[in-house]
Amino acid sequence: MTEHVTADAAARRRYDIVIVGAGWAGSALAQRLGDKGWQVLVLEAGNGDTDTWPGFLDTLSTFRSAVAKVPNSAYRPNAAAPSPNVLDLAPVRNPRPGEPEFTAGGYFVQNGPLPYGTDYLRALGGTAMHWLGAVPRMRDEDFETRTRYGYGRDWPIGAAELQPWYAEAERLLGAAGHGQEQYDLGVVHDSRYEYPMQEIPRSYIDRYCKEAVEGEVITDPVAERDYTLTLYGLPQARNSTPNPRYRTDPPFRVRGAVGLPNFGERCVGNASCVPICPVQAKSLPLRIQAAFPRSVTVANRCVVTRVRRSGERSVSGVEYRTYTDPASPVSRSYVVEADVVVLAAHAIENARLLLFSELANGSGQVGRNLMDHPTVLSWALGAESKGPVGPFRGPGHTSGWEVFRFGEGRRRRAPFRIEIGNWGWGWATGAPMSNVATALGIGGDEHGEVRPDGVFGPELRRLLGSSVGRQLQLQLAVEQPADPGNRVTLDGRHRDAMGNPRPVITYDLSEHVRDGALAARAVAGEIFRRMGADDFTNHAPRDGVPPLGHFVHKGTDLAYSGAGHGAGTHIMGSDPATSVVDADQKTHEFDNLYAVGCGSMASVGTSNPTLTMMALALRSAERIHDSLATARRPVVIRTPDTTEATA
Amino acid sequence: MITATELHEKGFHVPRNLGELRTFLQAAMEVEHLTIPVYMTGMYTIRPGTNRTAYFAIRSVLMEEMLHMTLAANLLNAVGGRPRVGRAEFVGKYPAKLPFSSDDLPPVPLQHFSPEALRTFLRIEQPRSMTPPPQEGSGWTSIGQFYDALRQGVLQIVDREGERAVFPPGREHLQVGPDDFYNSGGEVFAVHDTKSALLALRVISEQGEGVSDTIWDSNDLIFKEERTLAHYFRFNEICTGRSYGPHDRPKDLPSGPLIDVSWEDTRPIHGDSKVADYERFASTSDVYARAVEFNSRYAALLTCLDRAFNGKPRVMALAVPTMLELRDRAGQLHHNPHPDPALAALGVFASPTFELGRPQFDAAAQAVDTDIALAGFETGEPVDLSALTPATGETFA
Repeated sequence: MTEHVTADAAARRRYDIVIVGAGWAGSALAQRLGDKGWQVLVLEAGNGDTDTWPGFLDTLSTFRSAVAKVPNSAYRPNAAAPSPNVLDLAPVRNPRPGEPEFTAGGYFVQNGPLPYGTDYLRALGGTAMHWLGAVPRMRDEDFETRTRYGYGRDWPIGAAELQPWYAEAERLLGAAGHGQEQYDLGVVHDSRYEYPMQEIPRSYIDRYCKEAVEGEVITDPVAERDYTLTLYGLPQARNSTPNPRYRTDPPFRVRGAVGLPNFGERCVGNASCVPICPVQAKSLPLRIQAAFPRSVTVANRCVVTRVRRSGERSVSGVEYRTYTDPASPVSRSYVVEADVVVLAAHAIENARLLLFSELANGSGQVGRNLMDHPTVLSWALGAESKGPVGPFRGPGHTSGWEVFRFGEGRRRRAPFRIEIGNWGWGWATGAPMSNVATALGIGGDEHGEVRPDGVFGPELRRLLGSSVGRQLQLQLAVEQPADPGNRVTLDGRHRDAMGNPRPVITYDLSEHVRDGALAARAVAGEIFRRMGADDFTNHAPRDGVPPLGHFVHKGTDLAYSGAGHGAGTHIMGSDPATSVVDADQKTHEFDNLYAVGCGSMASVGTSNPTLTMMALALRSAERIHDSLATARRPVVIRTPDTTEATA
Repeated sequence: MITATELHEKGFHVPRNLGELRTFLQAAMEVEHLTIPVYMTGMYTIRPGTNRTAYFAIRSVLMEEMLHMTLAANLLNAVGGRPRVGRAEFVGKYPAKLPFSSDDLPPVPLQHFSPEALRTFLRIEQPRSMTPPPQEGSGWTSIGQFYDALRQGVLQIVDREGERAVFPPGREHLQVGPDDFYNSGGEVFAVHDTKSALLALRVISEQGEGVSDTIWDSNDLIFKEERTLAHYFRFNEICTGRSYGPHDRPKDLPSGPLIDVSWEDTRPIHGDSKVADYERFASTSDVYARAVEFNSRYAALLTCLDRAFNGKPRVMALAVPTMLELRDRAGQLHHNPHPDPALAALGVFASPTFELGRPQFDAAAQAVDTDIALAGFETGEPVDLSALTPATGETFA
């Protein structure tokens, strides 16, 4: 188990490095730098205990008793370090034209035309506690969309340079995948690459879809191009069988649970990776933390409030507040000093800290370029003649159609990745609970009375079997490029219980993204038609109530959901005038202040961003080590003159 | 009669030759397996969501019994034997006489989660240090003593016949390794010489009864894992409702913090129920059909293990989903009242009977071998069970 110290103990000494945030990026950096012998302090704003067995069981119970199984539903609310929740958004009935169709409660203040429907988690382990575990790489062209396709931003580094870091991240995360297939897809450069673990078996739905439409040519009406459907598996950070063709010395070993030594299994198809894997097959940062060397100190419940500047180009450490009772506004403030400060607190939290500290914002880009993968859901019932498709088995998705992600079509519309959902209409309609409610007659008639046509017993089972068993859902994740208008700002009037400023979010979808969403919806509809499935997708307002994320584009009602992929808020670039951090994720303006995480990404392509974030973090760890080692070397080195001594 | 019982009746002795050693190892697998229906029943009768500490403690022991069974199979394969798991002679009848223990002990029944069940568990796992030392020719006293006899046997036979004769080459492909078996304290490993054989025996006995007169197992020493309590002491924590403190010794009562155990959160069963009893009520209760099905699926599980131990270690990937299926099937039985109205009126629930005979195994062998042929399960290849999906278009209800 990871050892934790109190806020007081943490402040009692100096460190080489202080890291803000104990999620994936912060944990990876701490482990790497700690292993090199540097004294590292990790400050986590949220509660700990996720790394203990009782904490894990509590998470499971909280999830099981939650009415809405949203990503944060397994984790207890914390007023002292609040997290945004996808349930914070509500639609407006009969919205006035031109006015937002939503209201936002909770942690975020939202003032944009469209909702930012993405959450994160402030707790030990970070948002990774409820991540899905998808670890696809980005392809070369994703790093240079400006040069190749005339939109978005180019990265200062490319896919080639990231290849070894990707491989390293896949080892650290424990990725299961099919190397050859990912090479064929063009995201892995080495034709003989092997993942540490053999791929997670594909779902029955994958096979069902493959048999139905593999090789079909689909016309994208927006890009005006034809695309041939080929199914590809998804690399996942989930325990499967170690790959004997991966390095043999030492062979890869599956890592088990955190908090209990004789638990932790391989994926057996429980369908709740988000928000929690009940057998701990899903990889978590807690596994890295459990192996922290003694040189790494972790302190929970330490909310970093400010980065302290010490000179023209240097910072001296951070100021943080600790709380005992999260429900009370009482907290105590401390200062801790370190040679290097690393912000690894999530894209939006990093931006919030930099903005409040008034640091590193010469470019005016801090908080700007907020990105996500706006996800267009499409749902249908498989043909009755083909029988059940077997939803709610396995990880969230195990395969997808990748062809719309790449190529010249990107000039005309944002690219999108089609995930084949394994969890029925769960995301779109709240299935299967919503199906049960409907079948029971709950939801009521127009007077709010329980409907008389509810069923129970064998009839309920039959109805559920036919309504749930054939649910197909496609999740079309659209790339959102860097757009300075999408941003996080602070407003002194909006503060959390501890008194820290809450993020104010301004969010919209550009024409290019809306075109991508329109194409995605059309393509999904066509795929369902070819499969003989009955398309139930409906993004139009019902009874005057628009779905969340609703907009009308070129006469079509569309809606998107947030993917939880916040990025871009301290964007990477080579020009200090237009970007916040350099390729090493060091702020341009300070020699010892780093902002790491998805906030650094200049584009997100159509890949779930964790893997790329981890590759960048591992690369930065190496750079931070180099800079510290260089700084510690004496200016003049003289070899002692031994001749005299021996004489 | 299972091999272990035969051996038990011959009285305490150390295996004298390779043939006897193999018989002992076959018996070892049977003894490990004998505990599994007992622990399964204790665990799955806990009302879901309650008694979590107890549930996971029993589960952890159960997983380690599976590890022991697998290590015993590896050892048996290493010494030129052939593990036989998928047959009626492998399975004991409950209440079962516990082999290699004192003849004064009452037979081990299937019991729901209760103080009585925990006392049975403690009896099964009782360390040697709590039992009088055995005399050659006299009766057996503990399972720990049995494993010690095995250890002595291995050493003596290797001494006499040479390591190469005892551990012939060319049997590596029969070993189940960590790629195929996981999720317990400790780890499975290949057995190929005296050293690994003794380590396997040490893991088995120390996880069960603890390291040399302590309450701890040796997972920290052998596998660099966290140290955990040996089985007897894990059960004693539940039994006494209190966890062990850092300085407690085997003979002490636990002195640590209290554990939340609620004995009323259980589904009482009538452990002696047989399929024949359920059959009498087949017209009014589905329990009969479900209990029959449970037994046939349990036979399938043992058949999978048989194939996994006999040259196809990857078949573990078929055994695991079968275990999960059995968990769900056991849960369903325990959720339903006993079909006998008189028992149901007393609040007694149905339970799996673990009655496995020749017909079950014959049917299972055919089904499992068909599945193996379809899925391949070649060593080193990725697991892919998709070929096994029945194309029946079966409806949900």
